[in-house]
Parts: sequence; C-alpha cells; structure tokens
Amino acid sequence: MTYTKREILETLRMTELEHFDVRTVTLGISLLDCAHPDPSEAARRVYEKLRRIASPLPAAVNATADDLGIRVANRRLSISPVSLISTRCEPSAYLEIARAIDRAASEMGFDFVGGYSALVHAGFTDADRALLASIPEALSSTSRLCSSVNAGSSRTGLNVDAVRIVARLLKETAYRTRESGSIGCAKFVVFANAVEDNPFMAGAFHGVGLPEIVVHTGVSGPGVVCEAIKRAGPCDLRTLEEVIKRAAFKITRVGELIGRQVAGRLGVPFGIVDLSLAPTPELGDSVGEVLEAMGLERVGACGTTAALALLTDAVKKGGAMATSAVGGLSGAFIPVSEDATMISAAREGHLSLEKLEAMTSVCSVGLDMVAVPGDVEEDVLAGFIADELAIGIVNHKTTAVRVIPAHGKRVGETVSFGGLLGDAPIQEIRTLSCSGFVGRGGVIPAPITSLRN
Amino acid sequence: MDREALAVAVSEIVLRHLPREAPRGALEGVVADLVRLLESQPLQEREGPGTRHVVFTALGRNRTGIVHAFSEVLAELSVDIVDINQTLVHGNFAMMMILDPSGASVSFEELRASLKRRGEEVGVLVFVQYEDMMRAVNRV
Repeated sequence: MTYTKREILETLRMTELEHFDVRTVTLGISLLDCAHPDPSEAARRVYEKLRRIASPLPAAVNATADDLGIRVANRRLSISPVSLISTRCEPSAYLEIARAIDRAASEMGFDFVGGYSALVHAGFTDADRALLASIPEALSSTSRLCSSVNAGSSRTGLNVDAVRIVARLLKETAYRTRESGSIGCAKFVVFANAVEDNPFMAGAFHGVGLPEIVVHTGVSGPGVVCEAIKRAGPCDLRTLEEVIKRAAFKITRVGELIGRQVAGRLGVPFGIVDLSLAPTPELGDSVGEVLEAMGLERVGACGTTAALALLTDAVKKGGAMATSAVGGLSGAFIPVSEDATMISAAREGHLSLEKLEAMTSVCSVGLDMVAVPGDVEEDVLAGFIADELAIGIVNHKTTAVRVIPAHGKRVGETVSFGGLLGDAPIQEIRTLSCSGFVGRGGVIPAPITSLRN
Repeated sequence: MDREALAVAVSEIVLRHLPREAPRGALEGVVADLVRLLESQPLQEREGPGTRHVVFTALGRNRTGIVHAFSEVLAELSVDIVDINQTLVHGNFAMMMILDPSGASVSFEELRASLKRRGEEVGVLVFVQYEDMMRAVNRV
C-alpha cells in the first residue's frame, strides 16, 4: 500500500479527534495604490480593490479544504498599514477608509481584516497622528476591523509617547464599547518588533516589503501536540522535545500544503506559514493544557516558563524542518481569554499578570487577551505596556500587548466576548504609580545590541 | 517515466534479449534487466506522474458486505482501486482504499458524495480526500 494503515489512521485521528485545523488562511493585499487627497475617493478605491482581489478567496479555500479533507477555521485579510495610504491627515478621513474596509469585509464574509495600523516606533508622521486619534471611534463603529500600533523596535528603541497615546486610546475604546465588554480593545494590539507577514489577528498587517498580493497560512494544533505528549508518557525532557517536534512537523506540512494550493488556485504568490500553536476556547484546543500535560499541576506553577520555553523551541525546530517558508510570529500563543485552561488558572489565582509577563519572554508574542479593571489609571496601563515591549526590544523578539481595561468591571468579574475571543477574567494589576517615569515622555533609546553593523 | 514509456522500455529489453533463435537463459536476462529498471524508478513515478490518488477510509462497526458495498459504487463510477487494506481497531472496522480517479466517469466532488451516501446507507463513517495531506504529513 502506498501509505500504511497506521499512517492513514493517524492522519485521520489528527483531523477528526484532536481538533487539528488550519487556523487561518490570510490574504495580504497592498493598498498603497489607493492613496488620494480626497478621503472619499481613497475610501472608494480601497473598497473596490478589496472586493476585486479578495472575493475569490473563500471559494478557493473551501475547495482546497474539501480536496484535502482538512478544516480551515478562518479566512482573513491583512492590508497595508492604513496610515500609509496617503490622504487628508485628519481622523475623519481615516474613519471613512475604516468604514469602507468594514463594509467590504462584511459583504464578502470575512470575520476580521487586520491593518488599521500605524508604525511609530521611531516617531509620528502627521498621518500616523490622525490615524491614532481615529482608532477609538473606528473600533467602536466597525465590527471586523483590527488595529495595531508598532511602538518600539530593537533598532530604534521604545517610543514612550506612542505608548501613552495607546493607553489613552485603550481607555476610550473600552468606554465606547462598554456595552459589549469593552470588546473594541480585543481588536487592538500594540507591538514591539511587529512582523510584516503575521497572518494572525488582531496584529496582522501587510508589510511594505511584501508583494502586491500574497497568501499566508497560520497553523494551529495544540490538541495534536497535547495528545502526542500524553501518548509519550513519562519520558525525559529531551525525548519530550522530540515528540513535540514531530507533531509540529506534521502540522506545519499541512499548513504549507494548504497555503500553496490556495495560492495556486488564486494565481498569487505563497508567502509564509506561521507555526504558532494557537488555542481556542474549545475543550482540547488549549496551550495551557499542553503545559499541564508536560507535568505542571496548573499553568502558573513554578516551571511554567521553562516548560513554555521547551514547547516554543520544539515547535520552531519541528516547523522549520517542515517548510522553508517560516514567517509571522511562529511559536506558541498564550491568549488568556481564548484558552480554557488558562482561563480557569487565572480565575483560580494561579496565573498572575507577572507570571504571564515572564512567560512572554519565551513565547512567540506577549500579554494577549488579558483583562484588567476598567478604572486602571492611564499611566499604569502605559507602564504595563512599556514593560512588555521592553522585553521584546532588549531580546530582539516580537512582544505585544492586547489588554482589555473592561469598563465598569472589577477584579474577580469576567467579560465574555463569545466565539474565538472567549471569556476574560478580570485580573489584578499593580496600581502603584509609574507616572514619574512614563510621564517624562520621549523615547527609551535602542539597546546597545542594536549596533550590529 | 510514465506507463507508456515503461512499456516501450520493456519491449526494447525483450527484443534485445530474445532474437528469433533465443538461447536458453535469455529469460533470466530479461528479468534481471527489468528488475534493475523498475528498482531505479522512484515509487511515485512508477505509478505515473499526473496520478493524484484519492485516499478513501471507512470506519464503523464490523459487519458483512461493507467492502462489497463500496466496491460496487466504485465499479459503477469506473474508479480504479489501486490498493485496499482493512483492519479491526477495538472491534471497529477500518477499511482504507487508494483510488485512482483518473478514469472516473464523475468529478472528485461527485465521487466523494456517492461514497458518503453509500456510507450513510451501510452505517459507517466515510472520509474521502486527495492523498496530498497523507503525503505531506508522512513523507519527507
């Protein structure tokens, strides 16, 4: 037989019993040619280009998924950072573009479009300032738009002025979307070292170095890794890494296969596979559960950071052997509200924000989908973000913060977003003042390790 | 090398070794050459380039007539069964077939729908997929 019985049954077990799916096929589209001094004309061009380029994607993804017998959970779009689409530098101009994007996405059935973004790691253009000012209204008056800001990089340092603006706009967005658990903040992420080819939301955007149109895939598969670890039993840690590598290899191969076939059907280039283990709130689809299967009583126990370091490294090694098109964030995501095991660990007080912060130094992104009390001070929020971004800047990795200062909520309560975004328990954040530090404003210069030429 | 080219190569070998007055032992020569030729062909190419096989799996409670139920459908649709294998997993029946749909009278979608329909009739779970994922996951 061309394939052995075991190979066929194991592959079916991955897809049918272990929640394995391809998390997202994301079509990246450059919108730089949609610039126009008249915002209405720019918005019209954006709408028309999105409709023209993206319409065939869902059918192409469905046909490929049916051929191969694999589920693709999401079809998404990433677009050029909108602050780079030159138009009149006023918030109202960018809002017009935001609504055009949302309308196109809704008509074509895409749940999220990423790229309502500004790259301000080394300072602001007038367009950046106008876009930043429009973000709270954009996120509260649209449903499918995702927004991000790159506020620091290992080459340029940390733009603390941008971090303070982000803290302010998060509070405003939380207030404007207070009726739905401050959900606007779940569609916004602030980065250090943002990557240009990330297919995952909310931080996706189509970088300026990418081709006109490109197909990326983001794989998932914590369930597959978890079951492989359980089957391996009480092996030593080197063997455990080998087990995870093998599972990651298989997952990544499928991600690349789907991406290449969808790209082929659309006649556009294939970009990258993002190897991230991405959880969903569904049972058996949890990164927290993987960490517990490795031998922790609960996520948040001593040893959690070490276990996550091993997991992230093994996923990267297995994935890198499976494809030569690795990109995006690639590692393991730890979004609290989107992971059933992390939610309960946070609720029971085992997983503090400080422990999460430590974990982000070894995982692929950062403090993701954490909720804090709505009355948190702006400067405290800015300090919280600055800490996380500093970890990324000094360690030459991407870090990010997606935090929901849930309006009107206190520690111990929960905000529910439903669907993939899940339920976020409100966690305790230290309220000690850092205004004397972040209030100084300006830029934390780039670390000495930035001088590499 | 596709099947036609393979057939030509085989004929050439036979003609080379077996002239009108073929000596004894010529047949061994033919066999030895053929074995060398076939072993030098990678597995996929030996089955022809262009052939994109379909993996068909049926899972369910063991009962009589399951293989027949599906092979009947496949014969009606002119789908070639390249390989077939079955096993019992914890009292459940698992049948796997590798199909060559290139001569089929219907499209892949219709083939899948027909097999799914028959699966519902006989009460087993049916999975029909191109071999691409099996190859990607299990072959380097």
